[in-house]
Amino acid sequence: MLEIKNLHVKLADEDRVILKGLSLEVPKGEVHAIMGPNGSGKSTLAYVLAGRDGYEVTEGDILWNGESILDMEPDVRAAKGVFLAFQYPMEIPGVAGLTFLRTALNALKKKRGEKELTTPAFMKLVKEKGNKLNIDVEMLKRPVNVGFSGGEKKRSEILQMALLEPTLCVLDETDSGLDIDALRIVADGVNALRSKDRAFLVITHYQRLLNYIVPDKVHVLADGRIQKTGGKELALELEKSGYAGYSGKAA
Amino acid sequence: MNVAVMKTKAEQAFSEAFEAAAGKLPGSAAVKARRAEAIGKFSTLGLPHRRIEEWKYTDLRANLKEALPPAIHDKTPLTIAELIVALGPLAHVDAYRVAFVNGQHRAELDDVSEAPGLDVALLGKVLDSAPEKTANRLIAAAEGEGAVAALNAAFMTDGAIVRVAEGAALAKPLLIVFVRAGAEARSVAVRNVINIGDGATATIIEAHVVLPGATPDVQVNALNEVLVGKGAGLDHAKVAVDGGKCVHLSNWGVTLGANATYRGFQFSVGLGLARNEINVVYAGEGGKLDLSGAYLARGGEHIDTTLVVDHAVPRCESRELFKGVLDGHARGVFQGKVIVRPDAQKSDGKQMSQALMLSEDAEFDSKPELEIFADDVVCGHGTTSAQLDPDLLFYCRSRGIPEDEARALMIESFIGEALDKVEHAEIRTALQSYATSWLAGSVRAVRT
Repeated sequence: MLEIKNLHVKLADEDRVILKGLSLEVPKGEVHAIMGPNGSGKSTLAYVLAGRDGYEVTEGDILWNGESILDMEPDVRAAKGVFLAFQYPMEIPGVAGLTFLRTALNALKKKRGEKELTTPAFMKLVKEKGNKLNIDVEMLKRPVNVGFSGGEKKRSEILQMALLEPTLCVLDETDSGLDIDALRIVADGVNALRSKDRAFLVITHYQRLLNYIVPDKVHVLADGRIQKTGGKELALELEKSGYAGYSGKAA
Repeated sequence: MNVAVMKTKAEQAFSEAFEAAAGKLPGSAAVKARRAEAIGKFSTLGLPHRRIEEWKYTDLRANLKEALPPAIHDKTPLTIAELIVALGPLAHVDAYRVAFVNGQHRAELDDVSEAPGLDVALLGKVLDSAPEKTANRLIAAAEGEGAVAALNAAFMTDGAIVRVAEGAALAKPLLIVFVRAGAEARSVAVRNVINIGDGATATIIEAHVVLPGATPDVQVNALNEVLVGKGAGLDHAKVAVDGGKCVHLSNWGVTLGANATYRGFQFSVGLGLARNEINVVYAGEGGKLDLSGAYLARGGEHIDTTLVVDHAVPRCESRELFKGVLDGHARGVFQGKVIVRPDAQKSDGKQMSQALMLSEDAEFDSKPELEIFADDVVCGHGTTSAQLDPDLLFYCRSRGIPEDEARALMIESFIGEALDKVEHAEIRTALQSYATSWLAGSVRAVRT
């Protein structure tokens, strides 16, 4: 279970406070959506979960499976099962996608005390997972995400997720920049990973994605705090009325 | 007023070493006479220093504190097994081979049997019997050039004189390997003369390697004269990996015939002080040049790449891409001069030099120079220095890749673009392997 307790976060280099006492629980086996207006702290929450530099937690804690992850390096968190699908996946010129995936997968296996995969076993796995997401292995011989369209980048994120098999999946605006077909492929990829051992936190501005990835709960984040929690119908309500009723900026 | 310039200890020592060695250095009477002229020229010039523009960032007078005694007729034993150890990853390249140990040819380490189209003579032997004309031609490279070439002419002991027959296509690369071995601190001066016949194609590797356990103190002065015939093609790579205290002075003089293609690559890793000079002249129209290189330096290492590309005739193309990784308080120097002569219309030149700085104390001096005297040309240059991108590192680490590995991956990706210029897959793999071992050391060094 993911437990976020009274989380206060400010930017490390500025005085600006972004999260102001955010509390949230996501049990394993559930998909929770976080919706909120621009500037409400959605991406900050995603980055703080993954352990990016540049943020300072001034109060509160984040527990994953009962253990605080705040002092863990990003790669240690990854080994504990934390995965962030980036809103803007990075391009890595000069590193072939397959090399990147294999390095990441084997690093995780090593940290978890599992055996590293042989090349044929790895290739078989990539092909199998790639097929489901409509990603050709040829595409992965090219440098990571370089020259990929927005949709291809998001599919490549989901492929990484499928390969690395995290237990806490944080999706940061995975729907942004996707057309309806790409959205469906990405959503199918996510839905295929839903299981009783896995928790999802799906961050989105729009309700559209939640038609395809149906959440167990929806939380409204505004002004650095969860303002309201409800079922999937809350997303539809927001789509109609907007974020104007919540404190913080209007949508 | 005439001021007698004080000679440094090293300058004095070079002249004295020549006096002591002159009788033992290989060469006919004609060669000996030319060697004496060369040391005289060196004595007049002295070691190049920072007030000479071309040596502004690499002050040899200040950095070369002493002259090591020259290796002559060296007999340090070296077995094939040891050669393979010294070659490291390069041993996996299937190649013809000519081998030298401490500047002396070793026939028993060669492998040039059944090499149709390839003829290799040895400089030491040629010098011994050289009539005046040959002596003049062989030493001519010292004329009109600087002090380093003059030292090479004075002290050169051996090297490969390579001729690829007209129209021939070498089946395998030719590896010219210079190994240093033994416990004695010495200087080594070698010279190769490479002549690719019209329409011929070849791949040649010049490697400077060290047998583990050999003394780290060495000075290498290696000069290459390269002539690529009309319509011929040469892939030429230099791999210098011979140790952290090594002073490595390298000079490539390349002349490209009409419609010739030359792809040169220089790879320098772990050299104490290196000066890699490359001078290219187009002798005929339609020549194509692709020069690139990668260098990795840490600690107080210093690697200088100095190019002069002379578009002397119309319709030639030049491309340069050099990438350096600098850690510790290492210093990278890049000087790239492209000259386009008044008649050299339709010249097409592009140059890029980039450095990745792994520490706050590293230094990169980059000086692109374009001298364009023709009006219908396309020429450009660029230079960048950057640090590892923290966002990319975070992306890798969020996927479970530990910081060390993520850094190594980023650095490999940076120099990968240059290494990709090496077309021969086995050579490229060998270079990647050197880089990977260097990174394993660097990443450790960074952490402590």
